[in-house]
Amino acid sequence: MFRSFIAAALTAAASLAAAPALAQEAFKIGNLSPLSGPAAAFGIGINRGIELAAEDVGTFTVAGRQYKLELAPYDTSLDPGKTVAALNRAVLNDNVKYGFILGAAVHGAVLPIVRQTGFFDIFMGAAGREITNAENPTVFRFMASSDQLYYTFTPEIYRKLGIKRVAFLGPNNDLGRSDVRTLKDVAARLKGEGVEFVGEELVEINAKDFQAALLRLLARNPDAIDTNASPTGTVGLIAKQARELGYKGHFISSTAVLEAKALVSIAGAGADNIVAYRIWSNPPTKLYQEIAERHEKKYKEATLGTVWEAYAATRWVVEAVVKAGSFDTRRVAEQLAGSTFQFHPYGPASWGGTKSHGARRQIQTPLPASIIKGGKWEPLDVRMGTLE
Amino acid sequence: MTVARVAALLLALIVLPFVATPYALHVAIVVLFNVTYTAALYAVLRMGYLSLGHAGFIALGAYTCVILSVRLGVSPWLGIPAGGLVAGLFAWGLGALTLRLRGIYFALAIFAFGEIVTAFFRAFDWFGGPAGIPGVPRPAFLGTPLASHFAFYWPVLVVAVLGIAILYRLQYTRFGAALLTLKTAESERLAESVGIPAARYKTANFVVSCVITGTMGTLHAQYLLFVNPQVFGSTMSTDLLIYAMVGGLAGFWGPILGAGLLTALGEQLFSVGYWKTLVYAAILMVVIMVLPGGLADLPRRLRAHFGAPR
Amino acid sequence: MTPLLLAQGLAIGLVNGALYILTALGLTLIYGILHIVNFAHGEIYMLGAMAVYVFFVVLQWPLGAALAAIVLLAALLGLAIERGVFRNLRGQWMQLLVASVGISLIIQSLSWIAFGAQEKNVPSVLPGVVALAGVRVPIERLAAAGVALVLVAALYWVVYRTRTGLAMRAIEEDEETARMLGVNADRVAAVAVALGFILAGLGGAFVAPIYSLNPGMGLEAILMSFIIIIIGGLGSITGTVLAGLAIGVLQSIGALALGAEAAHVLVFAAMIAVLILRPQGLLGRG
Repeated sequence: MFRSFIAAALTAAASLAAAPALAQEAFKIGNLSPLSGPAAAFGIGINRGIELAAEDVGTFTVAGRQYKLELAPYDTSLDPGKTVAALNRAVLNDNVKYGFILGAAVHGAVLPIVRQTGFFDIFMGAAGREITNAENPTVFRFMASSDQLYYTFTPEIYRKLGIKRVAFLGPNNDLGRSDVRTLKDVAARLKGEGVEFVGEELVEINAKDFQAALLRLLARNPDAIDTNASPTGTVGLIAKQARELGYKGHFISSTAVLEAKALVSIAGAGADNIVAYRIWSNPPTKLYQEIAERHEKKYKEATLGTVWEAYAATRWVVEAVVKAGSFDTRRVAEQLAGSTFQFHPYGPASWGGTKSHGARRQIQTPLPASIIKGGKWEPLDVRMGTLE
Repeated sequence: MTVARVAALLLALIVLPFVATPYALHVAIVVLFNVTYTAALYAVLRMGYLSLGHAGFIALGAYTCVILSVRLGVSPWLGIPAGGLVAGLFAWGLGALTLRLRGIYFALAIFAFGEIVTAFFRAFDWFGGPAGIPGVPRPAFLGTPLASHFAFYWPVLVVAVLGIAILYRLQYTRFGAALLTLKTAESERLAESVGIPAARYKTANFVVSCVITGTMGTLHAQYLLFVNPQVFGSTMSTDLLIYAMVGGLAGFWGPILGAGLLTALGEQLFSVGYWKTLVYAAILMVVIMVLPGGLADLPRRLRAHFGAPR
Repeated sequence: MTPLLLAQGLAIGLVNGALYILTALGLTLIYGILHIVNFAHGEIYMLGAMAVYVFFVVLQWPLGAALAAIVLLAALLGLAIERGVFRNLRGQWMQLLVASVGISLIIQSLSWIAFGAQEKNVPSVLPGVVALAGVRVPIERLAAAGVALVLVAALYWVVYRTRTGLAMRAIEEDEETARMLGVNADRVAAVAVALGFILAGLGGAFVAPIYSLNPGMGLEAILMSFIIIIIGGLGSITGTVLAGLAIGVLQSIGALALGAEAAHVLVFAAMIAVLILRPQGLLGRG
């Protein structure tokens, strides 16, 4: 009995030791994102997007050797200090040269290291050219930027819905503040059409009670309240409390990924007339639908908002690595910037931003606008412009 | 600790950068930050005062240095003592106002102070606002900025060793001994009756602790190349307290041990999200409940338990 | 500011204040008896809210059964923590405080692991708005605040009209004499913690349909509770009630007049001012 146990253990150990020799080498993609704390849903969504992509990529060949994708997660809690620590560990200790880094707020701290080490930063976050630009050749933004969405979408939406008086309610963080600046600029450009920016309220990041801030805004009779920098739960609470105070107008979120079900569960009928730019009321592609189904089956949860973009980013970067025939991040960056991609769940993807950001580092994909009517997302028929 | 052990530790810290990988050096630098903060915090804990917002003083030091070098073009070298000075000035004013409070009242007052410091930096764009200030310059030596881990390790080591040496030395002066007698209001009255200027001593001790904390904070910001209000917020204050408690409050080296071990452990727990907090908290609870003297007390407890003669 | 806006702000502040009181009262009750500032109190509030989600939304129990379960579970948790942790650390206030931080971190991280990162919502039980002379208050908030005030009255009854309450007050007054007179201090401490946890759990339960829920929500509640009990006076029930309402109003009127961010600083400043000028709190005894 004992002897056979030893034998079994030895066999197992031997097979484990032999395994690396047989298997492919690992190509590690890091995920330096909040995996804990209030923003964890974004980071966990990226983990899953990478995992789903790894299933589809399988093994691939670079310079004659076989590789397999591997996820290397690092929890940053969206804290700049922790993100620096995570990046140090990834680059210096774990030999991770490619990775997602979530959040514009942490980039002030990580960009010097990214520039110094040539880390390939698959950037997920808002804000504009201060992050993707010619000085940071290995930083690519794989989701729509705030300025991109505001400048290309917002004017059309205002015209379509007849919005003239716009107010902003958001968190007092860098995202909220940069969105207010952009929104004011958009409103100023539309002055000829009678659009006016009527007021802003910046609140504590974790606030849940917006009644006082809303009262101040409602005193100025807005047609639309921009809630861009807030996540689903917060937008739902803002909508609920604004309706309770008698507000009848629209709410607009450009970059946030909102869930209709949660919004309706919080705000009830008050969720109607919430507008969001990145929500697909109907699946845009078969792949989109397929990923949602696979996600629900594998993780037993509604698909998190960042899954699709993380999936596409992972596959696209691997494709660029294979085409470049090298893991050198600068060569891969050049290869990637010149490429287009057919397997993005949102539709055909390419790179833009040469003029506005000074570098082709901003993803361009088809994007929808949707509005909640009767508790469900419905498509809002507007055409999005392109970012030069 | 004996002189021989201290000398051996110092020697090891000096040799380390010549043999360690950049990553190990990164961990060493972060350990030195936390060890110094925790030792400084312990100086306040030791006199019976719980500084629940100590990270506020790190922030004051860090922001002073960053504002001086980024906004006003002052040399980063000068920013280091300046940060310590500003933290000390605030500690002096705050200490004068709040050190009369005891127990939880002082703890909550300092907690509120920490919150207000971060709220202040967040409120004004000139101080970087919520996004913070990137592009913090590092000091230069012979015209070359201390860009590598190897180069930056040295100023951090110097401040850590100096700070800890000062804190250690102070414990064994008359001043340091007198502080131990101020733990309760009654004992403080008693001390005053034999001629110990209790209020002055307490404030002085608080100021020393915060000067060292703030000075190290300047290097912390230079190391990160960045500051924002979140980095030195209430989580950091609680972490420092946990380090000290896990190491043990009975002696000078306990908090240092706790900070070193938990910081190094934290570097290994990146991928696990909430489990990291859970591990920290579980260690903390086990130590508090079954090892009141902290980890520093463990060897003695083991010897006592297994009866090894020594 | 127009009179109508002022009246609306006042209404919002009073209702919010009433909702703050429950959690703060539990904290002050525990402090009065055990001299512990329980940092884990916010997590009990969070668990109360999450429990409404689990029992009422997921398991679809009747609301009454869900609330009864919350009362029971909160009491049990309180007894367990008092027995397992607080009692062993009697007299070591620093260790007690840090231990309560540890408990808070454990409950919080376990909840994040158990509930996941997605925010949870409890649909409104009493939708609709009461409008009186132009001042609008949602019915669910009004109801929650009303029940909260009823619970405050019940607490007064327990503390001032029952034998247990008498024992509590005796211990608060002079623990040694009370012990000599045969008061079972351990039992009283256990009851106080259980009562405090019940209040916090219900405080969380009542806001569940009003706000959205995540395991980090206890932090805001504990912060607000600290401020309230410092201003009202640690250990003082009446002080806590008055300070709760006052802070609610200061917050809403402050936010109306100066903006939310400034109101936030104003509340902290009020707390520091009280700590410096009258550290025992407005109604506390030195």
